[in-house]
Amino acid sequence: MSAPTPLRVLLVDDEELARRVLREYLSRDPGVEIVGECANGFEAVRAVSETKADLLFLDIQMPKLDGFEVLELLDRDVAVVFVTAFDEHAIRAFEVHAVDYLLKPVSEEKIGRALARVRERGVAGPPVSRLVADAKPDQPRPIDRLLVRDGTRVHVIQASELDYAVARDDYVELHSGGKDFLKHQTLNDLEAQLDPERFVRTHRSYLVNVERIAKIEPYAKDSRIAVLHDGTQIPLSRSGYARIREHS
Amino acid sequence: MHPILSRPSWLALYLASWIPVAALFGIALHVLAQVPLAEAFADAAGLTAVLAFVCLSAWYPSRAQPIAGAGTMGFLLTHAVAAVISSGVWLALGRAWVALLERDPGWQGAGARYNSLLPGLFLVGMLFYLLAAALHYLALVAAKSRQAEQKALELLVQAREAELKALRAQIDPHFLFNSLNSISALTSSDPASARRMCIELAEFLRRTLVLGQRERIPLAEELDLAEGYLRVEQVRFGSRLRVEREVDETALASPVPPLLLQPLVENAVRHGIAQTLEGGTIKIAAKRDGSRLHVSVSNPRDPDGRARPGAGVGLRNVAGRLATLFGTEARLDAIAGGDSYLVELDLPAGEVS
Repeated sequence: MSAPTPLRVLLVDDEELARRVLREYLSRDPGVEIVGECANGFEAVRAVSETKADLLFLDIQMPKLDGFEVLELLDRDVAVVFVTAFDEHAIRAFEVHAVDYLLKPVSEEKIGRALARVRERGVAGPPVSRLVADAKPDQPRPIDRLLVRDGTRVHVIQASELDYAVARDDYVELHSGGKDFLKHQTLNDLEAQLDPERFVRTHRSYLVNVERIAKIEPYAKDSRIAVLHDGTQIPLSRSGYARIREHS
Repeated sequence: MHPILSRPSWLALYLASWIPVAALFGIALHVLAQVPLAEAFADAAGLTAVLAFVCLSAWYPSRAQPIAGAGTMGFLLTHAVAAVISSGVWLALGRAWVALLERDPGWQGAGARYNSLLPGLFLVGMLFYLLAAALHYLALVAAKSRQAEQKALELLVQAREAELKALRAQIDPHFLFNSLNSISALTSSDPASARRMCIELAEFLRRTLVLGQRERIPLAEELDLAEGYLRVEQVRFGSRLRVEREVDETALASPVPPLLLQPLVENAVRHGIAQTLEGGTIKIAAKRDGSRLHVSVSNPRDPDGRARPGAGVGLRNVAGRLATLFGTEARLDAIAGGDSYLVELDLPAGEVS
């Protein structure tokens, strides 16, 4: 009888001591292989792809990217156990289908319980990243920054730095300071996340930061375009023009 | 003693206000009682001077007999008796004054003329006494309401201060649980450090409880508390947290409200160090500049950081406490740079005890 494949576990916490105690407990379980440790969210996003981890022990409060933002950027299915100091994210953790939610200081029994749940449930399940995107009810809106994944890199775009966004099938093309980024998200969803005072839907496929609009010009008969400060021309639909006028 | 008598400047003002009375009194004696003009003014000068002091005596019965106190009969009787006595004393002293005047051969007969005016003067004396008593009651009532107002204001300030202190004494749960987690991690790998951290943590919690109960503490104690806190956090954050202290010796004894700095230092860790990948240096600076005390706390910050819930609460509490305790005498400035954050306090340095 061969031993079952060990669980590939990744530890993500910005505090070395917090990782140390998890490592101590987990290393006593022969069915667990610790494939990496990450001190921040960027490392975690990359490591999940590179190490083919099955299970994440994930701290919530971390610099740059918090635990929920890390999940949002993952491209693989992975089981998640949240580990946090203070019980204020439990509902949100439950909504993203976390396997377990542990409070610091963590006991060995709780770690054992979490591992048992993972083994029972299996690591397969709905892709966590989709679930996060679907269930973010207590995320403060409007959001003040956007996260875009580019291979193993993560770009952070401040909402105020976003010039405009264009719908491209299942993606949005984000334009900011002359650069553009492709993000897996619908324009409707993005519009709902952003501040409606600042971002206006000028067209079915265009969402524009009103502060960037320099002028509105007639284009063809009965139609107009918006010209941004950098010269970019943005189509204006009839209703889009009405929304812009309402705004100013 | 009567408040007017206890202050020379008030007494001078009070007596000066009697000069027109003396003048009117002299004219009245001359016109109504046909006293020769010079003699009428001399009489009036002495009588008014004595009257000014006799009127002040109304303060004692007025204080002893509060207007909302005992029954009406007792009240009236007290003042009637006091009026008779005051007027009598006044006229007796007046008689002595006139006798003094009569020594001058030019003013023969002044005594006799004075004696003939006694019944009228007696009534005038009683009237003045009653007027003085009424004015004293007015002043007492005004002082009492001013006192009540002051008291209400003080109570309000005390209540707000107590509220803020209570708020402050609440230990940040993140700090507590994360520290316990660090201790738990150290227990097997580095028991000596675990024990040291237990002691540091206990020390910090104990000081927070004790200091919060005092009115003012020397800045040195507040800084010790902050440094104890940072030692605990240093175990948690390792090399990400560095601390720099630039404190003038002269500032150490300045009294400050307890736990004034603590929220700023906690913010520096929570919104600064904990939000940056590399961490950085928290710098605490303090100096005394004449009668002013300047304290500042600076920390690194993530320029791309998200707006964090709860940010600003600690700062608002500190600003609120400063406003309650010092009014416009103290100020708080928070300056957000690209990758650093600085909070500056400027408050009265206070008397060094």
